[in-house]
Amino acid sequence: MTPDTLRYTEEHEWIGELNGQYLVGITDFAQSQLGDITYIELPDVDRQVEAGEEIAVVESVKAASDIYAPISGKIAGINGALDANPELTNKDPLGEGWFFKMTDVDVTELDALMDVSAYRTYLETCS
Amino acid sequence: MRQTPLRSAYENHGAKVVDFHGWALPVQFAGIIQEHQHTRNKAGLFDCSHMGEFLLRGHDAAAALDRLVFSDMINLRIGLCRYSAILNDQGGIIDDCVALRLSEDTLYLVTNAGPLEEVDALLSGTPGVENISDDTAKIDLQGPLARDILLGAGFEALRTMKYWNGAAMTWEGHNIVVTRAGYTGEVGYEIFVPNEAAVPLWERLVAHPNVAPCGLGARDTLRTEVGYPLNGEDLAADKTPLESGMAPLVKWEKDFVGKAALETQRDAGTHSVLTAIRSRDRRAPRHGFDIKQDGTVVGRVTSGTFGPSVGYGVGLADLPRDLSKPGIELTAGPRDMPIETASLPIYKDGTCRKKFDA
Repeated sequence: MTPDTLRYTEEHEWIGELNGQYLVGITDFAQSQLGDITYIELPDVDRQVEAGEEIAVVESVKAASDIYAPISGKIAGINGALDANPELTNKDPLGEGWFFKMTDVDVTELDALMDVSAYRTYLETCS
Repeated sequence: MRQTPLRSAYENHGAKVVDFHGWALPVQFAGIIQEHQHTRNKAGLFDCSHMGEFLLRGHDAAAALDRLVFSDMINLRIGLCRYSAILNDQGGIIDDCVALRLSEDTLYLVTNAGPLEEVDALLSGTPGVENISDDTAKIDLQGPLARDILLGAGFEALRTMKYWNGAAMTWEGHNIVVTRAGYTGEVGYEIFVPNEAAVPLWERLVAHPNVAPCGLGARDTLRTEVGYPLNGEDLAADKTPLESGMAPLVKWEKDFVGKAALETQRDAGTHSVLTAIRSRDRRAPRHGFDIKQDGTVVGRVTSGTFGPSVGYGVGLADLPRDLSKPGIELTAGPRDMPIETASLPIYKDGTCRKKFDA
């Protein structure tokens, strides 16, 4: 995924469309703040989730952090490679380190999320 | 925040600096897991200059320490280190500490940064006690290659030094103290130098190809895998040595502050015990997690992290005595993560006790 085409949440998650499904992950800023990621607990496939619902947990050496559904919809699949290699999210947060994909979404909910320029401005307030 | 003499030196190595008990210290350089593995396999370099050091000269000074700790510091033999804890009237742990008998009439005491003012207030009124913390930097080199690296850097005097021994020596004209001790479970040395020698020593060691600078993050994962407690996390002023895994170290035949409270607790026998725990997978128990047995809260996690050398979560927990033996299945945290009690050390391949021939 390229940063320009994604939408972002204040919790430093990204969501982007790929072949009719919406991939979700965490940003480079998020992975660098977490440090070495050691475990990622992902939601069950086919689960219906609401925007803002806590649906996953990322553990790093330092701490455990909740992951929220950026918009409402159905969990259509998860990134099974993270089970054995959670460090993929450190290495490639917008690519191989994606978390889960969603379908049955209301695309208008994306309008409430930040675009890349808004997110970059937001990042300046975070560090 | 206070800065150690090494602040500028390690900023050149990509340190991510955090506030630790009021000190600006590196939490990581290249990454916690990478630094952890480097220390287990080669050698890691740690800035511990925030810690406290005292020189205790003469009998009165030694006696002042001896009455605050559960160990015998009067009869400690020259060249030996002894681990103990400084107690309050209730037998609670103000700080854990290591004392080294430097010479017939001198003890070298190493304490933590957090409770330093309190420890200073307890000791410094006694003649012969000198708090040298502000003038002393502490640099630890830890890992199976630490000895070879130091032998090549002018530390010939530690060639035959045994585990838990220490001595005064000189390095590049500076009067220093070295102990063969540490907080990682590996062969390691703690090097106490005057502030002006800190940067030259750090630069000399960090230039070695087998040395990686390491932060507080790796220090924590390394010590947790081998079950060394951390003051302020696992040890606290409302917990006694008996509750903190130190029962075998207590010298009941001597007098010390808090002894009566410890005797009462020992005789009742109902106190909790600091116990090693592990998870089943890569999830880690975390400080403050409740521990449950069959749905009932029975204890609390005091330290927990992912253990990079073992590949699962490791930690320490306050648990009832009957749940402190290894292999008991419990759950921890809001999501009831399965854990079990374990024997110490959880990581069993540490090199710290390795014997070296001349």
